[in-house]
Amino acid sequence: MAALSPLSVALLVAVTVGLAGAILAWRERPEPGATWLAVLLAGQVWWATFLVFELEATTLPAKALWYDVQWVGVVAIPVGWLFFALAYTGYDRYVTPFSVAMVSVVPAATVAVAAAGDPGNLLAADRVVRETAVGTFLDVVPGPLYYIIAGYTYLLGAVGSVPLIQLIRDDARPFRGQSAALLVGTAAPWAGSVAYLSGAIPIPGLDPTPLVFGVSGVAYLLALSRFRLLTLAPAPRRRARQLVFEQLHDPVFVVGTEGLLVDLNESAAETFGVDRRAAIGEPAAAVVPKYDAVRELDASGDDKPRAIRLVGRDGQRPYEATIRDVVDDHDRTTARVITYHDVGAYLGQQQRLNVLNRVFRHDVRTETNLILGYAEQLRSDPTDERAMSVISESAERMLDLSERTRTAGELFDPTDESEWRPLPAVVDEAVAEARANGPDARVEVGEVPTVPVREVLVVVLENLCSNAVRHNDGDAPWMRVDAAVADGWVEVTVADDGPGIDPAEYDVLDRGTETPLRHGSGIGLWIVKWGVDHLGGRISFDERDPEGTLVTVAVPIDREPSEAGGDGNEAPEPPADGPSTAGGSVSRRTPPDAGR
Amino acid sequence: MANEPTKPSTADGTTSQYRSHVTPPDTGAVRRVAAFAAGAPFTALVAAVEVALVTAALGVQRSAAPIAVGLIAFSVYAADHVADAEGDADSTPLRARFALRYADQLMVAAAVSYGLAVALAAGAGPAALALALVPGAVWIGYATDWLPALGDRLAPLGAVSVPRLKDVFLLNSAAVALAWAVAVVAAPLAFAGVPVDSVGPRTVALLFAYVLIRSFVDVEIPNVRDAAADAARGVATLPVVFGVAGTRRILLGVDAVAAGLLAVAFATGAAAPAALAALAVELAVSLAVTALAGRLDGTALGLAPDGSYLVAGVALLAIGL
Repeated sequence: MAALSPLSVALLVAVTVGLAGAILAWRERPEPGATWLAVLLAGQVWWATFLVFELEATTLPAKALWYDVQWVGVVAIPVGWLFFALAYTGYDRYVTPFSVAMVSVVPAATVAVAAAGDPGNLLAADRVVRETAVGTFLDVVPGPLYYIIAGYTYLLGAVGSVPLIQLIRDDARPFRGQSAALLVGTAAPWAGSVAYLSGAIPIPGLDPTPLVFGVSGVAYLLALSRFRLLTLAPAPRRRARQLVFEQLHDPVFVVGTEGLLVDLNESAAETFGVDRRAAIGEPAAAVVPKYDAVRELDASGDDKPRAIRLVGRDGQRPYEATIRDVVDDHDRTTARVITYHDVGAYLGQQQRLNVLNRVFRHDVRTETNLILGYAEQLRSDPTDERAMSVISESAERMLDLSERTRTAGELFDPTDESEWRPLPAVVDEAVAEARANGPDARVEVGEVPTVPVREVLVVVLENLCSNAVRHNDGDAPWMRVDAAVADGWVEVTVADDGPGIDPAEYDVLDRGTETPLRHGSGIGLWIVKWGVDHLGGRISFDERDPEGTLVTVAVPIDREPSEAGGDGNEAPEPPADGPSTAGGSVSRRTPPDAGR
Repeated sequence: MANEPTKPSTADGTTSQYRSHVTPPDTGAVRRVAAFAAGAPFTALVAAVEVALVTAALGVQRSAAPIAVGLIAFSVYAADHVADAEGDADSTPLRARFALRYADQLMVAAAVSYGLAVALAAGAGPAALALALVPGAVWIGYATDWLPALGDRLAPLGAVSVPRLKDVFLLNSAAVALAWAVAVVAAPLAFAGVPVDSVGPRTVALLFAYVLIRSFVDVEIPNVRDAAADAARGVATLPVVFGVAGTRRILLGVDAVAAGLLAVAFATGAAAPAALAALAVELAVSLAVTALAGRLDGTALGLAPDGSYLVAGVALLAIGL
């Protein structure tokens, strides 16, 4: 073969670099985009190789043959580019056999026309061999299909460039470098193509596009080696961010600037029983729980976190709401992200520590001092029966306190899922405990529906029933338990005719914290509150007429898993609706005749 | 140790002074370079010399064929060493360590080398281009999991399992030998643009058969060194199946056939006598290596068969071509 023309030598440089890049890209499979980058580069190599043959051929038929063969590479490039860009940037859901087939229809048709000898001169209206100063070229007058495939190539190139241009603005330098190298590698042949089609090249028949494949190859090689193009692809980032959003344990809502719901995660849908597809586009106030209250909290500018009690799949829980603005590159707020963080466990722990601290510092110390004092008295008078009785009672109270403290520590572990039991069995167990504590008491049990409830309710009811009997100074203490089911909740009432509960106890429970001056007595009511909180329920205290107390505990009953999330059912509201407070699940209702 | 401190470390954990000494050559680096040179570059050099010998034997004009085939040999063998580095750890530990450590660099070198070879071939015309693509295609079928994957796809139930060519007894060596024979004999013709008819089909056939047979022996000789590792991996080779002594006898017989082919070429004047004389020298060296198979150490057994071509190249230069 005769000495090669300078143009052929330039093309062979492009072949060398392009093929090296294609091999390296192919080696990186199955990294995102590797296969398609190899296709793109192979297309360039194909085009450049057969252009060499065309340039070096001496006859019109030979040049025409190699020209037609080049179409395989020409049409592979934009297809490879588009799907590389999509796969590489994480839009791989658009890279499917169907989409590849659809996008490949026009290129395949072009190759078929070229293989069939260009019937009807669709690709080339005329072909002439022209002698020029730099070589002998096949000057092709484009046919209609030529312009179609050229426009199609430009379209695919532009579409593929969009996600890569987004990467140039990325914070991560490697991705910026990768993207820049890729765009340079693509822009160079584009510029050559535009120059050719616009007639800017003075040499007839010379299409400089494949000549600058060398630039493309170097850019791609640089991206592959220097910027770790395929070993550090950004594709997983979109998926990862989506995954984090979807898998986040906290419910998250995204609200647009017009107050319409833009998105919500799986946790939000499940926790609050929201149908995602139906909810998106709806006014946020209709979907986002306590939306107005959350906005008010945000507008107040108070950085101190406050809990909002919301009813969800797990009953009523205290959530801390956080609002974050979604800001675009021009510092414009485009949406707001509302995150609800369940702080029930945290608050429970905090309260338990607070109360146990008080118990240790105050109650135990008081009882110990009492024992020490009367023990001293016994030293001087060993026959002092009263002193012995006081010591004995004090020690019993400490033992009781110790038992309750252990219960509080063990039963309300937020990570421990207690068993479900039928409500009648739970009530029977609690009532039996009350009867044991007060053998003389009249204990009545009304109608109790057979619904499944969490076993922790036993502890709650045991404390309430025992307190009703033990703290009743009457000759014949009376108490009664009733229960009723409404809308996914069971409401258990414990009524007694005792002296009532000191309002100071309510206040402490309601506030959720104790202070040295304002604290409850004992730990029983706290156990009741923690138990109800643990069950996602709420508790209310009423005064009875003429005397006594009516305690109402509302807890969610077992629901089928299908009802629990994402089926469009609204989570039921607890029957005893009271003002939502940061303190907890306690409310106090004023009875009709509470004027005394 | 070369960098042993002259006094213990100071109380704060730092070291202040070191003994003055002359640093010896970094034998590790030298060994790495030697391992690299004894790998794909050596094979590439052998391939180039082999093509030059055949070019002389065919009597066609000189071309870029030796360079292109050398580049292809480098890229194919470098890629193969990287791909099978872990499997080669027992038989060629130094080369395997080098391939593992510099896998990326080796692959870049291999890719650029293959690209350059294809560019050279494309400059020589379509036939040379097609020829340049053959070794790459053979390697893909030979060493990669492409064929097994295709087999699994075609027979998803696993009734038919397609192994890598590299793992098939005799076919593995035959495939490599065939690829070498095609590249070595066809390249001088394709790159020079000389049709087979103008050289003579008999000459081409004789040389092709000779290179094919010799290449088969050259592939199987290093298998003597790799016998234990191949057996452990379940790869059947002549030494694994017939033992070292049996392999020696078989390969001596195969070399005898090659000698017969050379004799026919001499007798019929099918090829340039000087080139045939150089090939005869090469065959003599090969016979000596085959006779010593099992007695030479592993490194020598890996290099000696291919080294015979370098001896032949020197012989050809000495004869004056």
